[in-house]
Amino acid sequence: MGELEKRKKNTGSDNLTEDEKKIFDQLGLKNGASRRKFLKLVSSASLSVYASSYATSPLFANTAKDLPHHQRVMLNEVKVNLRVNDRLKPLTLDSRTSLLDTLREHLALTGTKKGCDHGQCGACTVLVDGKRKLSCLTLAATCEDREITTIEGLADGNEPNAMQQAFLKHDGFQCGYCTSGQICSSVALLEEAKNGEASYVTEDFRKIETNLRLSEEEIRERMSGNICRCGVYNNIVQAFKEVHSGNDEMPSWEFATKEQMKKAKNS
Amino acid sequence: MTNTLKAPAVGAAINRVEGKLKVMGMAKYATEFSVENKVYAQGINSTIAKGEIIAIDTSEAEALAGVLAVITHKNAEKLNHFEEEMPLLATTTIAPVLQSPKVNYYGEYVGVVVAETFEQAQYAARLVKIEYKEDSDPTIQFDESKSKAIKPKGNSDYLRGDMEAGLAEADETLDATYITPIEHHHPMELHAIIASWDNGKVTAYSSQQMVNESTIAIADTFQIPKKDVRVITPFVGGGFGSKLNTERHVTLAIMASKMLARPVQMTVTRHQMFTNTGMRQHNAQRMQLGAKRDGSLTALSHDTLSHTSTYQEYQEPCGMISKMLYKVPNNQITYRLIPMNFQTPFAMRAPGEATGSFALESAMDEMAWKLKMDPVAFRIKNDTQIDLGADKPFSSRLLIECLRIGADKFGWENRPMQPRSKQEGNWHVGYGVSAASRKSPYLKSSAKVLLKLENEKVYATVQMDATDIGTGSYTIIAQTAAEYLGIPVEQVTVELGDSKFPITPGSGGSWGATSYCNGARAACQSAIATLKKNKNIGEDQEITVAKLLKQNKLEKFEAEGTAVPSEAFKEHSVFSFGANFSEVWVDKYTWMYRIKRMVNVGAAGTILNPKTAYGQIIGGLTMGVGMVLSEQTRVEPNFGNFITRSFADYHVPVSLDMANVEVIFLPEEDKIANEMGMKGIGELGITSVAASVANAIFNATGKRMRELPITPEKLIEAPVEPGVLA
Repeated sequence: MGELEKRKKNTGSDNLTEDEKKIFDQLGLKNGASRRKFLKLVSSASLSVYASSYATSPLFANTAKDLPHHQRVMLNEVKVNLRVNDRLKPLTLDSRTSLLDTLREHLALTGTKKGCDHGQCGACTVLVDGKRKLSCLTLAATCEDREITTIEGLADGNEPNAMQQAFLKHDGFQCGYCTSGQICSSVALLEEAKNGEASYVTEDFRKIETNLRLSEEEIRERMSGNICRCGVYNNIVQAFKEVHSGNDEMPSWEFATKEQMKKAKNS
Repeated sequence: MTNTLKAPAVGAAINRVEGKLKVMGMAKYATEFSVENKVYAQGINSTIAKGEIIAIDTSEAEALAGVLAVITHKNAEKLNHFEEEMPLLATTTIAPVLQSPKVNYYGEYVGVVVAETFEQAQYAARLVKIEYKEDSDPTIQFDESKSKAIKPKGNSDYLRGDMEAGLAEADETLDATYITPIEHHHPMELHAIIASWDNGKVTAYSSQQMVNESTIAIADTFQIPKKDVRVITPFVGGGFGSKLNTERHVTLAIMASKMLARPVQMTVTRHQMFTNTGMRQHNAQRMQLGAKRDGSLTALSHDTLSHTSTYQEYQEPCGMISKMLYKVPNNQITYRLIPMNFQTPFAMRAPGEATGSFALESAMDEMAWKLKMDPVAFRIKNDTQIDLGADKPFSSRLLIECLRIGADKFGWENRPMQPRSKQEGNWHVGYGVSAASRKSPYLKSSAKVLLKLENEKVYATVQMDATDIGTGSYTIIAQTAAEYLGIPVEQVTVELGDSKFPITPGSGGSWGATSYCNGARAACQSAIATLKKNKNIGEDQEITVAKLLKQNKLEKFEAEGTAVPSEAFKEHSVFSFGANFSEVWVDKYTWMYRIKRMVNVGAAGTILNPKTAYGQIIGGLTMGVGMVLSEQTRVEPNFGNFITRSFADYHVPVSLDMANVEVIFLPEEDKIANEMGMKGIGELGITSVAASVANAIFNATGKRMRELPITPEKLIEAPVEPGVLA
């Protein structure tokens, strides 16, 4: 709250907030660089101030401030070394803690979303050892020595990966809440296709080849574990197809022409 | 537009400006803010439909390590509560909770556990033992409770002409009832909040569609000044109407924070999303139509029976569409409500139109069949440029164009006039059409714009308390500011979702884009006008904002602006229109069906950004597909609980359910609607799907499906309509 106030005061100014300075230091940037330059590093230009206000902590979750630090009484305390996005995090957790809640509540990696907590919506999908996994149905204690990749770990620094860029280009999201899961599933699905893994609509289980070229129906079936209530499945399929095939996908909207309008009015 | 010395920004299909944050997992939703020292709350729900709590044993829960409090009606803070019987539910309505031992429905909050961790709170909530005195006669079965129906207080019954006379002069009449079930919104982001009570001041990171309304509801519930309530919601993970209101978890979290002097995080579980947020109610809509042989309608009545809770009143305006869509001299609209032991229903995407259009547009198809007329031609025959219900001309209405252009694109001429006559292998194939319409309101909206000159470039920041619930508000507001300031959109920053910013009506009812963008426009225009006036520069003189700032010797400048609807707006009826065409394949053995493809045409004024507008249309279509295919909340007939309580049994559409969709926008600019010429598009898509698919199913099978969702078991049992060659 206090932080937010400070930041709001700084809107449009060149002064860095305390938090931003911290991140600045972590990035190894020289003091005195302008705020705008800094903002370019962490966000899209059009949302610069915005991004700085709200989006810094998840990327740099190793600041002590972002971790819960009050004393808690835990049931069946377990120690787990979690390797998340190429960083090792030693944690002491309540044994009941799901991987999802560990990411969100203990590591401030809130990019992974809680949509149902029952393994029914796919919003919490992360990659565990390269495979898609529902983090809400996974106990953190079972993830020792596993390689966990979340949405925050897919990008190359501030540069979105190919799937993230395709989602952006094809508007494969609206509210953004299922998006992390959709993208993680899509990234894993590319690998599944490469490895020749079967799906419910695979025509012949005896003849599965590697490097599958997935049909639209195959893509839709294999992405049906990720619910998007905003309803942009068609855009998600387009984004996936573009990365999968390497060919540009065209939008499926058009404007009626003057001729069409004239004909419609007069017929 | 003045000062536009560059390519127009409005109308460009740019990517969402906040998109990068979303695809990288960096956008911050309600419970993702770093708030120190926070604790976790878990709601407890009633397990009877009607009655009273007689005893609560919290000892086991309280004894657990980490549990900080169990709050029930016995120790809850006293809040503002309803003075009158059954007040109308509005978006600013207070949300009292735990104020009495009375239980109004199964699943109502009867307590909340607060603990140091989420795991502890969840576990402890199960250990609270509650004893009830059950009332023997809860109202839980719709069909058996029709005699309890009341005329709503907020009565909007309507009559023009004479229904009896209209039916008497008709050559063909229809009397049919259409049933739609309880549905739930289910935005992907669970309703959630982090609340802090600090010396009588509230800070709420809360997922809300309407920021200002929410501050009012919170202030009124806790009886504190509105200025002491701060609501922050920069990203909302979907709403669809469910986050218009301030729901009771907000009250619970704030109350807990006040009692414990700690920030409290509370997330409504997916299970609780069925009972502790709104819902679309079960409707029975009786339609009576009369038409002459030439296709002209003589009479149309739309009588809706639905339900509300026992403690608040809400009526979905299903009949609204029948008042305005067609030229019919004799028209009757009525509403009746059964007070039932469920939570109060509330607006779900296109309340009234989504369900009302299923009834009206199915009935229109039935009448076209009786008249042996083409359903497109029948609708065109009854087109009107005057809204007879409001007695005002439409500001613009391109329904005929939508129907004709859509029919061409779809290949409507290949539709068999005779139902059940087109087959492909095992499949009955049918085509269906529905008209779409949705009111396009415009509400007072304010914005602040901060300008900054840096290296010859002007950077602008627009601030509004508006929300982006996935609708694209950030993007279209940025485009608007770029357009009216004449700067590239990359130089515009938009900040939303904070009650510290100027007041807007929030997101809902298809008014967001119109109200927000015109508010942003007004702020930009006000900035330019002031800068010009200071230097005696003529209003019409073209000059860049950069030069204006320089001439004013300013590096920074800020201005506020407010947009309000014009007199012309008030004198007209402002609606968006559309048409939906679908091709459905029904398996003749299993009666399972697939929606093969759809063509959707929309006329919604200026399209601000075709990319995000397309998203709004297909989003509406997808939710409409859910309505017709699968969505239904079922009530257990003995206990009154919902037995569909997860995504495993309440089926929202998934990727494989969706059809290939082609979307056509009509070029339209409606300057009566507002200065920017736009109309709403967020709800237009959903208003046509259910009828379009049901009508295609009739065309494919000869079976008239009058109850949603249309499932295979209903299709098997449905008779083939008289006159159809089986």
